[in-house]
Amino acid sequence: MKRPPVPAPEDFRSRLRSPAVAARVGLWLGICFGICFLTGLISHYAQEPSQPVPFPTYPSWGYRVTQGLHVITGMAAIPLLLVKLWSVYPRLFLRPPFGNLRRLTVDALERASIGVLVAAGIFQLVTGLLNSTQWYPWAFSFRTTHYALAWVAIGALVLHIAVKLPITRDVLRGDVDDTTHDRETATQPGTLSRRGLLRTTWTASAIAVLATAGSTVPLLRDVSVFGVRSGDGPGGVPINKSAKAAGVTGLATRDSWRLRLGYGDGSLLLSRDDLLAMTQHTETLPIACVEGWSASGDWTGVRVRDLLDLVEAPRGSDVLVESLQPSGPFRETTLQANFAEDDRTLLALMLNGEPLALDHGFPCRLIAPNRPGVLQTKWVDRIEVLT
Amino acid sequence: MRAALGLLGVAVAAYGGWLLVTRTDTDQLVDAGVWLASGVVLHDAVLTAVVLAGAALALRLLPRPARAPAVVGMVVFGSLTLLAVPVLGRFGARDDNPTLLDRPYLASWLVVAGVTVLAVTGASLVRSQRRPRAEQED
Repeated sequence: MKRPPVPAPEDFRSRLRSPAVAARVGLWLGICFGICFLTGLISHYAQEPSQPVPFPTYPSWGYRVTQGLHVITGMAAIPLLLVKLWSVYPRLFLRPPFGNLRRLTVDALERASIGVLVAAGIFQLVTGLLNSTQWYPWAFSFRTTHYALAWVAIGALVLHIAVKLPITRDVLRGDVDDTTHDRETATQPGTLSRRGLLRTTWTASAIAVLATAGSTVPLLRDVSVFGVRSGDGPGGVPINKSAKAAGVTGLATRDSWRLRLGYGDGSLLLSRDDLLAMTQHTETLPIACVEGWSASGDWTGVRVRDLLDLVEAPRGSDVLVESLQPSGPFRETTLQANFAEDDRTLLALMLNGEPLALDHGFPCRLIAPNRPGVLQTKWVDRIEVLT
Repeated sequence: MRAALGLLGVAVAAYGGWLLVTRTDTDQLVDAGVWLASGVVLHDAVLTAVVLAGAALALRLLPRPARAPAVVGMVVFGSLTLLAVPVLGRFGARDDNPTLLDRPYLASWLVVAGVTVLAVTGASLVRSQRRPRAEQED
């Protein structure tokens, strides 16, 4: 007997592939996408050099939580998306209504919108997952593309919700085993019950989170067997970019290193010993990376505000912080006035009681509360008050 | 209300498309397009074919009491394996950064696989003991 090369919806007989299942999984998938989108916007805004509304310095762990949530909900969404797509897979093979031009157009538009949603959804989860492991097998800029497609994915999702609202509302109000909206041919009992499939899906999501979240939730460190980082590192804190990778090893270790501190025409050169001779402060602050890992540390060093006072910089000035590294998008960062004025913002010389390791930014690094890790400039070369 | 929501969705997605096109160079845009299309094709054709074939094979080979536990095991272990691919391959690992990808991923994966097999076998055995009653429930 000849089999058709492409299956038809009737070939899928399991009653598990039902809108009653798809809507329940979709609801949680939508919640995860929503949290990913909002926390992603926060992260994107926090990295903008110019902020009409200053990013807050309180609470110091705020960014750690939002970026942790971003990665956790992204992980949770992977099993949810797989089961969601499985539950609606037969619809891919629905025959378009060729006889009626109007219905054909509507059908084509709906398929296109679903295509955009699925493509953008898979793209966001895959690129986010790979980025969290620092694997970049592509030519595009991750940040720009992930940000743009987040809007595409969330827009296509809102459209999808609008299109499916009546049926979604109906199946979510009804019992999960209700068959009102099922395809006529989807009558075969599944290997699992619908409740069993849903429980399996929630379990898969929970295990995906437990297996990875230890990179940002210290309590889970021992169970997160697929976490990107164990949490070990010099001074008990992992490293994102090493001195070697940044190309600063020679520059950062030479004796002639001096911090260049400038405001207008005034400028000062300070050695590490000069900095150590100033009043030292210790703050417990997290380093929270955009890739989703985080760790808390006790940082000791000089208050940035005390440094600004040395050159008599006025209150409320933005500050440019420049690294020794010769290139890279975050070689120079703007420390907004509210961060520069915060007493907890330090130019750190020590971490957890040890001199700052070279890979943590020796001779000195910036550490400020509630700020993405990429902006916590390492191997600081110059601090310039912007006028 | 629904129409407004739909229009909002279209506007938001269009904004994202505009961001993508205006802030990305042409060659990068082509690469992003390839990744967008590949995700759909790899899921809809390759992954789904593997899952459907695997499920069909499992249903044929496994005794009845083992089928439901096997499905649960496949969903949980399969999705976990898929999201562990980047760490299992250690593709982002760098010689100069020992704090990155510093866990024994392959050993963990083998342990997780072993635990899954044990759990599925255990659940199957329990179900085969209860089988007469389970069939009455059907």
